Amino acid sequence: MQSRTIPLSLTFRERRPDTAPVAFGRDGTRSFGDFVRDVAALAAAVEKVGAGRWLLDTESAYAAAVGLLALAQTGSVALLPTNRQPETLRRLRSDLVGGLIDPARDASALAGLPRLDPLAQPPALAPAWRLDRDAPFAELETSGTSGEGRWIPKALRHLEDEIETLEAVFGARLPAEARVFATVSHQHIYGLLFRALWPLCSGRPFHSNLLLLPQELFPRMLECRDAVLVTTPVHLRRMTATQELVRLAGVCRAVFSSGGPLEAETAVRVAERLGEAPIEILGSTETGGVAVRQRSRGGELFTPLPGVRVDFESPDAGLVVTSAFVSVGLPTHTGERRFRMGDRAQQMPDGSFRLLGRSDRTVKIGEKRLSLPEMEKDLAQHPALCEVALLVLPQASQPRVHAAVVLSETGRGMLIQAGRRALGRALAGYLAARWDAVLLPRVWRYVDALPRNAQGKLPVDALAALFEPRNRDAIVHHESRAEGWLERQLEVPRDLVYLDGHYDTQPLVAAVVELRWVMEAAFDLLGRTPRVREFEVLKFPEVLLPGQRFSLRVEQSEAGDRLDFQLYEGRRVFASGRCRLAASEGETC
Amino acid sequence: MPTSEQLENEIKKLIIELLALEDVTPADIEPEAALFVEGLGLDSIDALEIAMALEERYGVKIGDDPEQNQQIFASVRALAGFVSESRVQ
Repeated sequence: MQSRTIPLSLTFRERRPDTAPVAFGRDGTRSFGDFVRDVAALAAAVEKVGAGRWLLDTESAYAAAVGLLALAQTGSVALLPTNRQPETLRRLRSDLVGGLIDPARDASALAGLPRLDPLAQPPALAPAWRLDRDAPFAELETSGTSGEGRWIPKALRHLEDEIETLEAVFGARLPAEARVFATVSHQHIYGLLFRALWPLCSGRPFHSNLLLLPQELFPRMLECRDAVLVTTPVHLRRMTATQELVRLAGVCRAVFSSGGPLEAETAVRVAERLGEAPIEILGSTETGGVAVRQRSRGGELFTPLPGVRVDFESPDAGLVVTSAFVSVGLPTHTGERRFRMGDRAQQMPDGSFRLLGRSDRTVKIGEKRLSLPEMEKDLAQHPALCEVALLVLPQASQPRVHAAVVLSETGRGMLIQAGRRALGRALAGYLAARWDAVLLPRVWRYVDALPRNAQGKLPVDALAALFEPRNRDAIVHHESRAEGWLERQLEVPRDLVYLDGHYDTQPLVAAVVELRWVMEAAFDLLGRTPRVREFEVLKFPEVLLPGQRFSLRVEQSEAGDRLDFQLYEGRRVFASGRCRLAASEGETC
Repeated sequence: MPTSEQLENEIKKLIIELLALEDVTPADIEPEAALFVEGLGLDSIDALEIAMALEERYGVKIGDDPEQNQQIFASVRALAGFVSESRVQ
């Protein structure tokens, strides 16, 4: 049964019963009566400071809804940041009259700005509610095609019209009082609409807080008769790694997914566990919602939402969207705007389309958008680097930025002095002032030259090949241990990364690599990092070659002050020696 | 019942394996060093992975109190302390 929807601009004109629940969560349930009172109190407090551009940054979606309507009431505009890096906030500050900020949020970069807690204002009389459909309502931050925050303006009507369309398309499937839960923030357009404003307008109570872990989310959903989940491919991938999603089969009426492409495999798993595949929404901050796909109903093709026109000029150009929800781009004669997205698509005769991928090397990690060329330009400024190429590849089944860099002379010095990990951390730290933590490169390759082809271009597969897993360890065939000693049967893998260039004419295992294997075995034997005071009687009688099988033995003296080690095979000894250990705390030597 | 040092080592190995961290061995991770932003430089996506892996492996549940979580995730030692406390209960 569909619910009665009240347009956003008429939220207070057409009223719900005072006791109707609007939101629930960590801070209890808020009714419609509470909502009206909270908006009135906040609007009065905002008036006292002054109308204008206000930052809105809250953990609670309910507080955000209160904030948005209170600001609208005073003729102010809400700015919803997604990038909270200090530099971004500082740059914003001069533009702002004040901030509506949750107490939990760190706003130290905005020191001196008048700051109000949206839900802690003294009661005030409710004004004569007037919300103008065409007035500027909010600005949403997106990274767009540049690392700089871009603010996308929205008038109330852009959001209101999309909400009406969403209810028309999906409302019949969602029970009137279904409770809405989300793993996404309301500071993005997807979360703003799906977890806060659409539920608000349709009378469906929404959970105020962000629930990211299944162990937080599932029990709360199971308390409801009907529930709706607003989530992303990243979370669905995790939730379908096990069978646990099955627990929600009795209560979950719909799963929405947006923010990136959802693989068929994950969609099928959701369908197996819940009876229906997720409803995928394609959209953007600039355009609002564009198209929908649900694999259990129609395969991999997206269908434009009613009222949305999608034009395809060429397979290489992004698709062009015209609708009442688009708030930036070229005005058309109908008054609607027209905007070119960075997603390429192939059109089908019936107007549906298949996505082909991005046109501008813009990627998404978590919910953050990143322009790779922009970050490359930024990173290349670092004195340690001559050239930079970035790529997004999975690491531990999460998409992560991988970086292949050519070091300058300064950089080579830093690598020798500080080591691979420290250099990588320093380079990532350099980017952290401007880019969100989840976007920072995690995997680094220091190369003499980028793998360009004869035309000077950098093919993606040549770049990706740099990151193919290489063996860093000896292959372990067998291990035996007892009190005071540990012995392993090992083999030198032929693709051991340390063989590169050592030496070109005859690859062999460097002594320092053998010692590393000894230290790893010592770590396992002792249960802690061995504190080596000095090495003694180090000998490397024979060379250790690729493919060689050998035994590695470490033995601790009874007094605990010495480790003897040997790498050998039969009578052949590759390495042997002794470490004197420093006394650890609490031990006498 | 493993010693706290053994538990710390287990957790170090779990983190390295789970997140496929390159160039990091358990010996590289100081038990009291920061895990997030500084130190290992982990982020919110990693935190979720770790929380889920700890629940799978040790049966401990990490709640949704952001302040408490900041303390639990402060270092490997803090994580190990949380795991052994929760197991006893």
